[in-house]
Amino acid sequence: MITFENVSKRFGERLALDNLSWHMDEGEAVAFLGPNGSGKTTVLRLITHETQPTSGKVTVGTFHARRLRRGHRALLRRTLGIIYEDFRLLNDRTIFENVALAVRIAGRFSNEEVIPRVLYALEEVGLQVKQNVFPSELSAGERQRAAIARAIVNRPAVILADEPTVALEKKSGEEVIRLLKRIHSEGAAVVVATTRRDVAEGLGARVIHLDDGKHVDDGGQMLPGGENSGTQGVATGPSVASGHSGS
Amino acid sequence: MHLFYLREAARSFRQHRGLAYTAVFSLTAALTLSGILLLLTHNAEMQMKALGDRREMVVYLRDDVTPAQRDILVGRLTDLYGPVTYVSKEDAWKDFAKQLGDPSLLEAVQENPLPASLRVKLRPALLTPGAMDLAAKQIGEFPEVEDVRYGEEWVHRLDQIGATLVKGTIAVGIVVALAILFIVYNTIRLTVLARRPQVEIMSRLGATDGFIAVPFVLEAMFEAGLAAFLSLALLFGVQQGLSARVVGLVFLPVPQALMFVGAAIGVAWLAAVLALSRVLRAVGP
Repeated sequence: MITFENVSKRFGERLALDNLSWHMDEGEAVAFLGPNGSGKTTVLRLITHETQPTSGKVTVGTFHARRLRRGHRALLRRTLGIIYEDFRLLNDRTIFENVALAVRIAGRFSNEEVIPRVLYALEEVGLQVKQNVFPSELSAGERQRAAIARAIVNRPAVILADEPTVALEKKSGEEVIRLLKRIHSEGAAVVVATTRRDVAEGLGARVIHLDDGKHVDDGGQMLPGGENSGTQGVATGPSVASGHSGS
Repeated sequence: MHLFYLREAARSFRQHRGLAYTAVFSLTAALTLSGILLLLTHNAEMQMKALGDRREMVVYLRDDVTPAQRDILVGRLTDLYGPVTYVSKEDAWKDFAKQLGDPSLLEAVQENPLPASLRVKLRPALLTPGAMDLAAKQIGEFPEVEDVRYGEEWVHRLDQIGATLVKGTIAVGIVVALAILFIVYNTIRLTVLARRPQVEIMSRLGATDGFIAVPFVLEAMFEAGLAAFLSLALLFGVQQGLSARVVGLVFLPVPQALMFVGAAIGVAWLAAVLALSRVLRAVGP
């Protein structure tokens, strides 16, 4: 489903990712664990094609190209559900409208289907009663739950979560983890980037430790590129599928 | 889905009212300038058409033409060029005497030297300088015809004035179109930049450029349409105010006014598409 083959990413002089290889299958949960600046968010941005690898190859489903065309990039993102640490909700729209926007963007559903889909997603995260409230009127935990509703409303095969609990107090954080775990148990693959071990453990995810852009084992020891001792699903085979090659 | 785009465009207009109103006022100013020239050109064309309609060709007949030959010629000229009026030698002399005013001046003239003539009111299709030249040449070849006059120089001058007016309108139209392009291009650019967080979020959610662009394009077209209607209203006010002083000043006919609005909206569409094709590449993550 997602494969990184010897991927390096350099931002100017700084090497954000150093020869990273990993693979995950459908329905799997993977947590990238590491301190700030270790390259976790870069991994997620490479998956969403917000940035391109300096070297190596990233494959997401049937999308595999160094640089996708804009139309294909949009298509790729519509197959993902993304949750940000700062929620990225539109403050001038109600929670309902924020979630409905993702349904409109997906373009797969008729006007009649929009309302029930949105209400169902809001119900799943326990926010149906606050559907007409604006993000600024919600607590941080509620805003993150709204962002999760937006991420899951189109039933994507993969949910990406970048520090989903970092802006939340403990109780809200636990609630979000429970929610992600439930989504995962319903069949969605989940990729989480986090600095907190309890998040990875709470999700029951396979952990990939990153430090300074390098894949390290639990003891902080760096592994050679392409290996992933103690974990499963290392990228060794061919890409998942062909098609959607970008320009 | 179409309603969704309209609602998004309305939301954008409401949220950036300052920017939208500035754009509408700037566009109104530019369109009013162009509209004034369009109004002047239209009125000048109307006047020229009225003058042109009065254009006629005078065909002088030889003195030895018999009434039968004359009647045949009248029939042929009527068929080929338009209605013909016969002016006899006597009528021509009376007209001349009337124009001269003092009958004593003609006492010395013993014989009427003026020829009989045919006045041909040319069909509208023949009222161009080229067609008139050709018609005069053809009529001159009839054996009964002594000479043909139609104010050649005046006709050419009238035609030149008309051509200059049309060129002037096209030139001002191009300048105004460029001004609209510039105004709308920058307004859309600023609107997108002002809504950058929203555009970024939509792009991250997988929105295509088209999905993001449509509301902005609709907004630009709405602004241009509104500005065009405002400028037409201003022009109508000016025309009504001046019509008491300037006889025959008329407003633009409805089809021309609608074309004016349509052209403004079309240019705004082009400007918005150009602006968005550049700015979305810069803004989207």
